Amino acid sequence: MSAPPKEIDLSFEHVSKRYVVRRERPSNGTRSLLGRLRALRLPVEDFWAVRDVSFAVERGEVLGIIGHNGAGKSTILKLLSSITSPTTGRIRINGRLSALIEVGSGFHPELTGRENIFLNGAILGMRREEIAAKLDSIADFAGIRPFLDVPVKRFSSGMYVRLGFAIAAHLDPDILLLDEVLAVGDAAFQEKCLRRIGELREAGKTIVFISHDLAAVERICSRVILMRQGQIALSGTPAEVIAEYQRLPAIAHHNILETAVADSSAEIESLQLCDLEGQLTPPVRTGSPLALRIAYVVRRPLADVVFEVLFTNAEQQVVAQWTTEVSGQAIALQPGEGVLEFQCAELGLIPGMYYASVAIRERGAPDALDWQHGALALRVDPGKTVQGSFYMGHQWTLLAQAHAVGG
Amino acid sequence: MHRTARQVKVIQPPSLSLRDLQQGMVRLREYGDLLWTLSAHRINVRYKQSLLGLAWAVLQPLSLMLIYTLVFSVIARVPSGAIPYPVFAYAALLPWTFFSTALTNATNGLVSHAHLVTKVYFPREILPLSYVIAALFDLLVASTVMAGLMVYYHVAITTQVFWLVPIVVVLAAFVTAISLVFSATQVRFRDIGMAMPLLMQLWMYASPVVYPLDKVPARFRTFYELNPMVGIIESFRRVSVLGTAPDMRLLGVAAVVSIGLLPLAYAYFKRVEATVADVI
Repeated sequence: MSAPPKEIDLSFEHVSKRYVVRRERPSNGTRSLLGRLRALRLPVEDFWAVRDVSFAVERGEVLGIIGHNGAGKSTILKLLSSITSPTTGRIRINGRLSALIEVGSGFHPELTGRENIFLNGAILGMRREEIAAKLDSIADFAGIRPFLDVPVKRFSSGMYVRLGFAIAAHLDPDILLLDEVLAVGDAAFQEKCLRRIGELREAGKTIVFISHDLAAVERICSRVILMRQGQIALSGTPAEVIAEYQRLPAIAHHNILETAVADSSAEIESLQLCDLEGQLTPPVRTGSPLALRIAYVVRRPLADVVFEVLFTNAEQQVVAQWTTEVSGQAIALQPGEGVLEFQCAELGLIPGMYYASVAIRERGAPDALDWQHGALALRVDPGKTVQGSFYMGHQWTLLAQAHAVGG
Repeated sequence: MHRTARQVKVIQPPSLSLRDLQQGMVRLREYGDLLWTLSAHRINVRYKQSLLGLAWAVLQPLSLMLIYTLVFSVIARVPSGAIPYPVFAYAALLPWTFFSTALTNATNGLVSHAHLVTKVYFPREILPLSYVIAALFDLLVASTVMAGLMVYYHVAITTQVFWLVPIVVVLAAFVTAISLVFSATQVRFRDIGMAMPLLMQLWMYASPVVYPLDKVPARFRTFYELNPMVGIIESFRRVSVLGTAPDMRLLGVAAVVSIGLLPLAYAYFKRVEATVADVI
């Protein structure tokens, strides 16, 4: 007899999810009633957010799902948590599944902390007696014990967020869904959350972790799936899948769900990291050289174009920018495809996770011709490690030295 | 905390099978605590920040009763039969206020919780249902005033009053069915919410709230009686303040329509629910 097969806690069987999109013509918003009724019959476009995806997760496994924006990660999350249903295929979930998400937005400001704990616990599927039993522990975890009977509208935003997490962290699931949770709260609270996730993992819970944070994925996952354009591109050990992910160019996704791209005279097609010699998979380290290639397509002659790359940190703050604007030289583009490469001799970012957003716009124009928000996730490893909030390129010269002059 | 065997949940593309509906009901029962907690909070929140608190449940039908008495009895001289007009009107405003409050709030139930609907799963029907339950609580509170009115106007209460239980059940079933349909449709077409105040006005005048049923001309009657609120309101008034038996034929129509509509409305709601997070 062979060992009994491991129990499958979660499986996707040929799951696809289609969004139906009505292509609206750009208008100034004052469409006639007739126009609106006609729009109901406009040809619809299909957008397959997830296409024929199959995978299975064994009990006790920690599965990471990574991929660029628009690759289908968050659709998988929504499908798993039943927020939306698949177009075809089947999802099988063996046991109680909970998502560790911040539910503070479900709080009612007039109700007290205690009442909100009961309300939100119930929204997350907990029973009353279960919540009552965990009430003290939740209040302690969030550090709001003295304020239990205060309406949450008097809470600080930090208390709000912590309470939201504390409730979710006290769910007792068989399968846990994690979605970029670690970027919230102060360091001490993040540490608490990580410890809680560690406990659940030790307890043999099955975990699905959907994230941009490659470092965290590498640390906690036993297996990783790489999503690309709604399909599984690769599945394997964290090390090999993350390496492949960093080698892939980010395909720009034009979110047709938002009809924001009104002007399609220029579009960003893909982004690719490389080193200054054009080698792919460059080491991304503080103080090392780095280049980024932006492949674009232009549909009409553009006289003066500006390319920009914005770097944001996990807290969504802009930390740096590359732009052709400061060079003062106009870039004129003819219709057709092209590639622009930004080069940086010494990367100033200190180690951490960053997201690069790319834009093409006409000089002086308020709106971008195309804008890829958070298109590239960038993990900067330690290189020329320095103190402070960024690395500042520097040279030094030994100008004078006292000669060891004898007696 | 120990749980027994794990439940296997299978998520499939939405379909309209009886099995799916049955599964929906099972899930709703599992989330029973949420329905009660949410309904209780609705009541709580509504009265927490208002000065008059619970009195609002009474004030609305009471002030409407005063206005209608002035307009329809004092000015327009609408007859009210054997009972004083205020009692006559209030006995109809009770079920009517419940109907319109529940329906108006429930219609917005999904849309006003978009932030939750796109973030976490729970049976979505809980949102409109909680408004129906909260309105039912208001009905109970407002009923106490009717008892006071009846004492004041010396209107005798009879054993017919026990008919109120099945009448309120039919009324609640009807409100629930319409709420499910409206709240689901409101997600795609906000026009429903916009049309609500007007619709409620029309519907009230199409029901025997401010005038007696027997004043409706015979040639309109067949069409008029298709409205389940006719049988419900007429019967509610008869058994509570007139002390007569309900109009069995009309109440029967209302019961058949309401109870027949409920599973259809639920099926429609569940079908919309499957993709509600995509369009909300």
